[in-house]
Amino acid sequence: MHRLRTPICKAAAAAAAFLAVFAAVSLSAEPIATKEGVLPAGTELNEDQLDQPTELFWSELAGGKRSYLLNLGDMLFSSPTILGGAARQAGISCGTCHQQGGGNTKLFVPGMSSRAGNFDTTGPFFNPKADNGVLDPVRPPSLRGAKYLAPYGHNGRFASLRDFVRNVIVNEFAGGEPSPQVLDALVDYIQEIAFLPNAKLTAGGRLSKEASAAAKRGEILFNKPFPRNAAMSCASCHVPSGAFVDHQIHDVGTGGWQKTPTLLNANLNAPYFHDARYDSYEQVVDYFDKHFDLRLSAKDRSDLVAYLNAIGEADKPTTRNTVQAELEELESFSSVFDVAIPARNSEIAVLAADALGIEWRDLGEKFPGRTDTTVSGGVKERLRARNTIRGVVLTLRRIAMAAADGDFGRAAEAYAAYQKEAAAAADVLKQAEPYSLFNPKIWEAHFKAVKQLADIAKEKSRSK
Amino acid sequence: MQIQIHISSCVSARIFVFTLAILGASFFASGVAQAASLADGLKNYKSFVVEHIGVALSGAKELQQAVKAKNAKAAQTAWIKSRKGWEAVEPITGEFFSELDEAIDAWPDSKKGYHAIEAALFAGKLGGIFAPVDELVANLAKFSNELGKPDFQFEPQGLMNGLTKLAYEVGENKSKGGESPYAGTSLIDMQENVEGIEALYQMVFEDPLKEKDAKLAGEIHEKIEAVEKLVKVKSLKALNQPALHKGGEELAVLLQSAALKLDLNKPAVGEK
Repeated sequence: MHRLRTPICKAAAAAAAFLAVFAAVSLSAEPIATKEGVLPAGTELNEDQLDQPTELFWSELAGGKRSYLLNLGDMLFSSPTILGGAARQAGISCGTCHQQGGGNTKLFVPGMSSRAGNFDTTGPFFNPKADNGVLDPVRPPSLRGAKYLAPYGHNGRFASLRDFVRNVIVNEFAGGEPSPQVLDALVDYIQEIAFLPNAKLTAGGRLSKEASAAAKRGEILFNKPFPRNAAMSCASCHVPSGAFVDHQIHDVGTGGWQKTPTLLNANLNAPYFHDARYDSYEQVVDYFDKHFDLRLSAKDRSDLVAYLNAIGEADKPTTRNTVQAELEELESFSSVFDVAIPARNSEIAVLAADALGIEWRDLGEKFPGRTDTTVSGGVKERLRARNTIRGVVLTLRRIAMAAADGDFGRAAEAYAAYQKEAAAAADVLKQAEPYSLFNPKIWEAHFKAVKQLADIAKEKSRSK
Repeated sequence: MQIQIHISSCVSARIFVFTLAILGASFFASGVAQAASLADGLKNYKSFVVEHIGVALSGAKELQQAVKAKNAKAAQTAWIKSRKGWEAVEPITGEFFSELDEAIDAWPDSKKGYHAIEAALFAGKLGGIFAPVDELVANLAKFSNELGKPDFQFEPQGLMNGLTKLAYEVGENKSKGGESPYAGTSLIDMQENVEGIEALYQMVFEDPLKEKDAKLAGEIHEKIEAVEKLVKVKSLKALNQPALHKGGEELAVLLQSAALKLDLNKPAVGEK
């Protein structure tokens, strides 16, 4: 998975030109169409999108820089190697469900999901030992602001984020017992994921001048005591000055006790409720109107929806993926070697080389090869980009092999070579970028052709 | 001295026995004896390629007949046969015949090549594939003709490039169905790829490398066997993808080192 961050958005001007083209593109990267793979046919991981959820870190918002632990955690979060079983085989990572630290509103795994945007973490597919015998899929939540949102899990069953992360790795996704340094890094990364700025909201959780009149009327309703229980209001659980949560679990008639979810940046998190049962705020408001007998008028409901939309907004919800953004991310990730190799830390050096290798391979696939006939131009540039990336991947493998042997002199030499190759790759990749899947026109042509083949293949049942 | 190279049983389930007359110690060093050794290795490998492209072509012709006869089952069997022949020579397809490779193995393309045919054929649709099948036969025939020209020779650097590239590619993530997802034969593709890797390494590079660095030659031999073991599973779902990914990359790294030992350039891992 490839992350993009707002502060890095140096390519915004170039991206704007692309956006005009992309506005008409509603195609998505295709779901898995074969029965031969690890994941069930029809699985939608919602990968390979050009516009990806924006990710921000608290340290960067405070004008600081990314730490070693943050870089390591960020990299491990997007690496299948820390998981086990089918997830690892399928190349699934934490970042598959929590894209750029957000959720994954399109995620669908047949047999494990009841609709797009949910997934059964206690089903038989990823770890038979974790199967509770019930199809009870939950929505992969956004992790933005996670450090302010304890307890963890939809039902708040973990007080500790560290315990929660371990449970996900070991129990839900059949991974090996993570080492303390791996857990430290993952927890640090998750705690660093910030809420995205929202100009319609002030620091105290009140609406700003930017908000509409309807939203402001909705704000009053949100804080107004319920007709049948004056001790309660929407705001009594979704506390505006406290990230719109109360750190409690409640039974609101949706099936057991569930944690109060934050409403910040929630526009990006649909579908709603722990099991993703509702697509829209309208449905959510209707539900609570009935459940708590709020006696709302149509205008009231509309005003509450306007309020939720205002507080749930983000100034920049998505960021266009570019070569530059990818390279900056890879540079952040590879800086882990600066610490791990001198410290002779085999575990981290090998994990980092594996994870980075996968990231570079994924990047390489964005430059179509000669046999991809959906692209006609820039063959020389594309092939040079692919060749360069493959060379880098093999240098990373050299680091892994040396570190696994405990030969850190050789690992340091390979890392020095990697740094040179990665630096040299930048120009090569940028020259090939217009002919790559970073270009919306080419992205569309490529995935249209993939979809065309998939459509042909499913027109009739297989005669095998 | 005379050295017999036994290509293990996995190569088309037969034992190829080739005799190389190696009269000197160095493979690529100048001298008549070494040139003869190189020539023999290359000649033997060319025979391997000719044979497998022959299988690809005959399979394609059978596919053509079956499609005309509207026999879907026979057409599918013929497609798989043809594909197996093709996959075994993938070390050289892109490296030496890039334009034909583009036409024959296009992806994603619903108009031409193996995969355009595959998508329709394995959905039981024969109506729209007459033209792409005819084109496939023509392209494979052209491939075979080019290969058969007396002046056509494989050169070691290109072979090492193709070998290393395929070692890299065999480790690519196949969890979403692999190269031939609609035929469900991606695992066969991979097995043939590994056989192709083994054949090329053993026929052309292994013995000369032993002369230069026996330890490295042995490591490559073992790594190929390890990769071969990984792809010898019953289904794609049973494939240990992370181990294959690692094994393919490690093999490619070892081959990069081997190239330098054999006085070749560091192999290019991408397409030509």
